[in-house]
Amino acid sequence: MNCCAQVGAEAGGSAPFLTDHTTLIDSVETFIFDCDGVIWKGDSLIDGVPETLDMLRSMGKRLVFVTNNSTKSRKQYGKKFESLGLSVSAEEIFASSFAAAAYLKSMKFPTDKKVYIIGEAGIQLELKQAGINYIGGPEDGDKRIDLTPGQLMEHDHDVGAVVVGFDRYLNYYKLQYATLCIRENPGCMFIATNCDAVIHLTDAQEWAGGGSMVGAIKGSTKKEPLVVGKPSTFMMDCLASEFNIKTSQICMVGDRLDTDILFGQNGGCATLLVLSGVTTLETLQSSENKIQPDFYTNKISDLLAAKKVTTNA
Amino acid sequence: MAQFRSEATASASLLTNPAKLIDSVETFLFDCDGVIWRGDVLIDGVPETVEMLRSKGKRLIFVTNNSTKSRKQYGKKFEMLGLDVTEEEIFSSSFAAAAYLMSINFPSHKKVYVVGESGIQLELKQAGINYLGGPEDGDKRIDLSPGQLMQHDPDVAAVVVGFDRYINYYKLQYATLCIRENPGCMFIATNCDSVAHFTECQEWAGGGCMVGAIKGSTQREPLVVGKPSTFMMDHVTSKFNIKTSQICMVGDRLDTDILFGQNEGCATLLVLSGVTTLETLQSADNKIQPHYYTPTISELLAAKDLANGLHSSLL
Repeated sequence: MNCCAQVGAEAGGSAPFLTDHTTLIDSVETFIFDCDGVIWKGDSLIDGVPETLDMLRSMGKRLVFVTNNSTKSRKQYGKKFESLGLSVSAEEIFASSFAAAAYLKSMKFPTDKKVYIIGEAGIQLELKQAGINYIGGPEDGDKRIDLTPGQLMEHDHDVGAVVVGFDRYLNYYKLQYATLCIRENPGCMFIATNCDAVIHLTDAQEWAGGGSMVGAIKGSTKKEPLVVGKPSTFMMDCLASEFNIKTSQICMVGDRLDTDILFGQNGGCATLLVLSGVTTLETLQSSENKIQPDFYTNKISDLLAAKKVTTNA
Repeated sequence: MAQFRSEATASASLLTNPAKLIDSVETFLFDCDGVIWRGDVLIDGVPETVEMLRSKGKRLIFVTNNSTKSRKQYGKKFEMLGLDVTEEEIFSSSFAAAAYLMSINFPSHKKVYVVGESGIQLELKQAGINYLGGPEDGDKRIDLSPGQLMQHDPDVAAVVVGFDRYINYYKLQYATLCIRENPGCMFIATNCDSVAHFTECQEWAGGGCMVGAIKGSTQREPLVVGKPSTFMMDHVTSKFNIKTSQICMVGDRLDTDILFGQNEGCATLLVLSGVTTLETLQSADNKIQPHYYTPTISELLAAKDLANGLHSSLL
């Protein structure tokens, strides 16, 4: 358990506000950042982010970005960071789109099988990169089902997995196609990139998230998906292995309790909640909330206070 | 009826004495999809069976979770298929949603947002309840361009979700905003059926799909007005002044029809003409056992040939 635990929340109490930024930063080697609500909101950078990342890099910290948002591939996220003026390489980014492809590779998904996608281009690009065949995705966005008498939907019997992520072009054709594959193709897997209820897809408000699409397929198949995104530790295992780091040397920074913070806790990391995204202080401190991070702060640029400290507090 | 009931944990028996079953109840409650019809095709022997039961003085009621039509529209469907069934004998989950809102005195200045088809809208209109959404929102697209903001009506006090072949992200987001942001906004589901025979050719993802989507974005459980919830049963028994012990519920789905009947103490008969196979019924994973099962409702016609009930120690 990270040494920060000793200065973190008491068991059963509410998380303390982060005041000793230097101790937290010095106690870890790597910072994992969620993106939506932490780095940006929609396409708008949150104040103070560039300076914060620069400071952490100058202090020799490794930075990794882990996002449940499967609409883009790692490469596309790299371009988004670039367009926002941040220097982050594709290798530092772990998106749930990548996680889905990585999972299928790790269990040697047969080359004669296909994936049916409910989701956007990010999933398609990562599957393509991994050499995995797929059908569905945005191409099925304009297909309508009218349920006229005698209508029958055929489906590809070679679909060995359905991958479900956020899909702004969701429709009944896709829901039915995925349902048929899961119910009728023996052994067909049901994989979810994430189950996030809502996310800041634009900076203006919260939008129904991947949890909506996954919930729809749970409803028609009565099956639980294998979730590759947070809070599942699959992506944590991937990056710990890739960078050869101990999870006790990591601080997970996120805006969502039931994905980011749980992800960090499940992996044995220190955890820092920021209030710049979907979680309010009220929610954090509510008696119904059972997930307490080690610390909370308003936004990641609060860490800049460490820059002003020349000796430990 | 108690003398004919199988033990709570015993397996369902094949129905061999239809006359005894028929004589022991006053009312038959029939599910529709997979029992009376599949899609728009009548199942063999249904008209004769319905006639036979009526000739024996049985009350017939049709209870369907399919919310795409109103009771009136279902009446027309029965008519088109050559069956003599009145609107008052039909209880659809579209009607149940409106009836539920009326029963709690849904305020007249409030509105319902509909994720579903015209059946729900027609029943709400009939009940004098204001609504928005439904098929009209089927062509709306969300592109999530920077700065995009969806406004929603703060007067929406209930979201009613049922099967919707024109489901899209606009509707999911609108419903999500109402439930999450309008204080006290109810989340009502007409039903949670995973699949249904919307056409006779195959099973199609059902209302459970749309309801699951809203559960996923709101992390709330809906109030379900359709089977297996007893709301429609309470309504039927109250309206016709009948005891549930005098009813036989006939359906093709274990976790809605049969559970619906069992929850209220009715006799239950599963037909294998719909979504449930004999294998599923007899599988070790299945915990819901009806009293009896039979291939189709036309098996009840065997009772027509008997002048008296058979005396049999075996059922």
